[in-house]
Parts: sequence; C-alpha cells; structure tokens
Amino acid sequence: MAMAGRAIQVSSIIVILLGIASGSLSLPPDRSLHPRILVLVDDLTVKSSHSLFFASLADRGYRLEFKLTSDPSLALTSYGEYLFDGLILFAPAAEHFGGSVDIASILDFVDSGRDLILAADVGMSETLRTIANECGVEFDEDSNAVVIDHLNFAESETDTEHSLIAADTFVASSAILGEKGAEAPVLFQGIAHSVAPANDLVIKVLSASASAYSANPEVQLNGPPSLSGTSISLVSVLQARNNARVLISGSLSLFSNKFFVFPFKKFGSSTSFQRSGNQMFAEEISKWVFHERGHLKAVNVHHHKVGNLEEPSMYRITDHIEYSVEIYEWTGKTWKPYVADDVQVQFYMMSPYILKTLNHNGQGLYTTSFQVPDVYGVFQFKLDYNRLGYTTLAISKQIPVRPFRHNEYERFIPAAYPYYSSSFSMMFGFFLFGVVFLYHK
Amino acid sequence: MAGAAGDVKALFSSLKSAYVATPTKLKIIDLYVFYALCTAVIQVVYMALVGSFPFNAFLSGFLSCVGTAVLAVCLRMQVNPKNKEFKELSLERAFADFVLANLVLHLVIMNFLG
Repeated sequence: MAMAGRAIQVSSIIVILLGIASGSLSLPPDRSLHPRILVLVDDLTVKSSHSLFFASLADRGYRLEFKLTSDPSLALTSYGEYLFDGLILFAPAAEHFGGSVDIASILDFVDSGRDLILAADVGMSETLRTIANECGVEFDEDSNAVVIDHLNFAESETDTEHSLIAADTFVASSAILGEKGAEAPVLFQGIAHSVAPANDLVIKVLSASASAYSANPEVQLNGPPSLSGTSISLVSVLQARNNARVLISGSLSLFSNKFFVFPFKKFGSSTSFQRSGNQMFAEEISKWVFHERGHLKAVNVHHHKVGNLEEPSMYRITDHIEYSVEIYEWTGKTWKPYVADDVQVQFYMMSPYILKTLNHNGQGLYTTSFQVPDVYGVFQFKLDYNRLGYTTLAISKQIPVRPFRHNEYERFIPAAYPYYSSSFSMMFGFFLFGVVFLYHK
Repeated sequence: MAGAAGDVKALFSSLKSAYVATPTKLKIIDLYVFYALCTAVIQVVYMALVGSFPFNAFLSGFLSCVGTAVLAVCLRMQVNPKNKEFKELSLERAFADFVLANLVLHLVIMNFLG
C-alpha cells in the first residue's frame, strides 16, 4: 500500500513538472474535450439520412445523443447543471418539445454560452421561427415559400421549380469556413431568411445570388416577392456577446447524405461537379460553431516599466513602459498560439491617448512599449479585439498615472539663471536700499 | 510745430526744476524703483527670446521685481511730507511695514523659484 502510494505521488510530481515545462500549453481547456451534443429530430430517419454529418462529428470526438422532439424525458438541465455542450435542432416542424424543453429553455441554453445548430425547412413551425427570431434571423412569413433562382440552380430531373440552389456566395472568413472553404457550390433547398443589417452579431455565411427570390411555387405571384436578391440569406451564423455560437440554415437537406454526394451541373456552366461542396461546408462550419476554430483567449496580461520587470501599482507621467499579453486559439483539443498582425492596445482615459499595434513573436506573445502621455489620471490598458469569425477579446486593466512629485522636477535649469539672479539681486537691492534709507540724513 | 516742441521743452524744464526740490530720501526710493523696473523689463525681453520654459522661474523673477517696485512706491507715498493722508504715520512705522512686506514677498518668491 505504501509503495503504491509513493508511486502515485512520484507520478503526480512528474505530471506537475511536465505541466511547468510545457508552459503556456498547460492552459486548462475552456471547453470539454469530448463535448456532449443533443440532437433533436422530428423523425429518427434523419439519423440515417444525415449520417455522414453525424459521423464527422462523432469522429471529431463529439458524443451525440439522439432524441425525438416528442420524447417526454427530454431535458437540457439536471439540478441546474447543463447536460449538454451543444444542441442540434434538426426538427423543422416541431411545434412542441417533450419534457422540460421549450423555447425559453433553448434560449437560456444559448445564453449560458452553449452552441446551437438550427435547421429549418419548408413548412417550419412557429416555435422554430420564434427561436430563430430571438437569434436575429427572420424567416419568410409564408412557410411554404422556397428560395427560387432561375439562373443559379443545379440541373436536376426532379427539380422543375429551380429551387435546388447551387450557391457559392460565401462569407470571406477563413475563421468560419476554414482555410480552403467549400471547393464546390453548396446545394440548398429550403426556406429563405433575412438578417437585420443593423445587427452586426449575425453574419450571412451563405447568401443567395442577385437573381434569387422567395416564393411559393404552387401559387401565382401577384406582387413582388417579400424577399429577393442578395438580401436573402441561406445560412447565417450568430456569435452572441457571450461568445455562444448559433448556426441557422434554411435547409435541413443541406446536411443530408443525399446532398453531400450529389453530382450536379450548375445551369449555364460547362463544369460539372462530382460532389457538391456541402460536406466540406457542413464540416467546416460545424467546427466553427462548436469552437474548434476562432475561439481566442488572452492570458498573462502584464505591464511594467522598461528595465524593471515588476508590475507597479502606479505610473508617473512620461514613464517608458512595456505591455505584453499572450493570445491563444482553441483547436478543439489544445491551445495553439494565435498569430495576427492587427492586435492593438489602447492607453485609455475617456478616449485613447495611445493606440499601439502589438508586435508578436509567432508563439502567441504580443508586446509593445510606449511612453505614458504627459497627462495624469486613472488610465486603462484596453485591448478590444473584434474580428469576423473570432471570439471577442475585451480585456482592460486599470492603472493610475500620477504627476511628478515636487522633488522629481528638474532643478537649476541653465535657461532660468537670469531669473534666479534677478530674484537674488532684488533681495540684495532691498538690503542695500534699507541700509541707505535708514542711515541717510 | 515749433510751438509744440517749445511747450514740451518748457514742460520738461519745469518738471526738472520741481524735481530738484524733492528731498533726497525720495530720490533714493525713485532710483530703487527704476532699478527694479529695469530688471523686470530685461527679464521680459529675455523670456521673449529664449521661450517660457521654466515658466515658474520667470514668473517669480519678474514678480519679485514688480513686487519690489510696488512696495517701494507704497513706502514713498507714506514718507512723502507733502502727502497729507499719512501725516500721523511715523517714518519708522512706514519703514517697518515695508520691511515686513518685503520679507513675505521674498519668502514666496524663493518657494516659487524652482
């Protein structure tokens, strides 16, 4: 027993030493290494018809749990603890959920910083519409309307309405879509939505072309369609202020096996594609939604005077100081150094007095040095980093700046010698005048 | 023109003859005031040439001259026998006031000089 105890002790010491040696890489993970995902479906056939998408998630270490929306034991929390790290809602027609799940609990789930993938489809329910609305996305009011594009559709024998869209207008962000992005157009068949232009948390990842419009193909159009052109979004993402990520797609079949391996030819184009870009697009965007990419963390914020590594509680005006911070990106398994040339720090009091771009060493350490302005007061080191596809970094550190002490001022300035001498000559003159004035008869 | 120049000349000569009659004690004070004002003007010129950098030093140097001049003028008013206002004020008392005010002035100047 004692031997075993000692062995455990030694191994734990080795683990601690390894942790110290690897330095920054010993940062604790922000997220679970094997996140639990709840998949809610209308119909269990979705599990097999979308198996390629689910398999790619399972291969990346996600633990998927499939439940019917009507399951009476459905719950997102248990005794106040969330049971899941992410939620996939592949149930476009669900009006009600079983168990304790409802619209409010799903929104609370997002508010707690957890992620959501929501796929709508033609004939979507009012419940899903409400959830999407809360996430800043508005679906076409007519739930039988589909996106139709007579110029950018994939040629298919079954689709005579030109509603099988081959979309290739992606958001320009390698953080969201990966380095390669989708190599072929993404097939989309479903309902259109729009995002409010004033809402800068919602990003249109896949937009329709200028010739697209949203209408019910069964009904004669009487007026202009309610949604048309590039204002139609096919797939949007939301990154909330708490860095929760939500993916909203107007098409459930975008994630289906059928669309993943669909060979097609885009209308009016001579190139035909062996596979659509759907699989790549779905995998890459699910990596982003579940924080395998674009999730940043800033640690070890440090500042000090040049030549003195200790962090002071106060600076003096015109001090020369150095500021450093380490930024890492989460890859789903480990933290890797984040490398960018556009990270800036502000020395801020009501307005930025100094704005400096940080230099980095390629290992995640960002540094800069500057001189404190000739203004005293309570300043902040402010780092606001807000880039498309990345989580927001907003760190600020308060620091007072004091004026010179009375004994820190310069003495005996050569330029002031005339003033000194005049003052002393006045004193001497006063003495001389006093003597003369008193003893003059 | 010639008439005006003649008037100015007459004015100055009458001023000079009147000033000759001034007691020597007051003439000493006038010399002292003149000296202080000259020093003040020199400092202003110097400041205009080299800039106002040690501004506190300039202010204290300049104000010590102005203060000295003002205190001397006050003393002159009090010891002038023709001034009826300070008739009952003795010369010694006026001088003591002058010394006290000067001490305060130079104490402040020393603190402010730099």
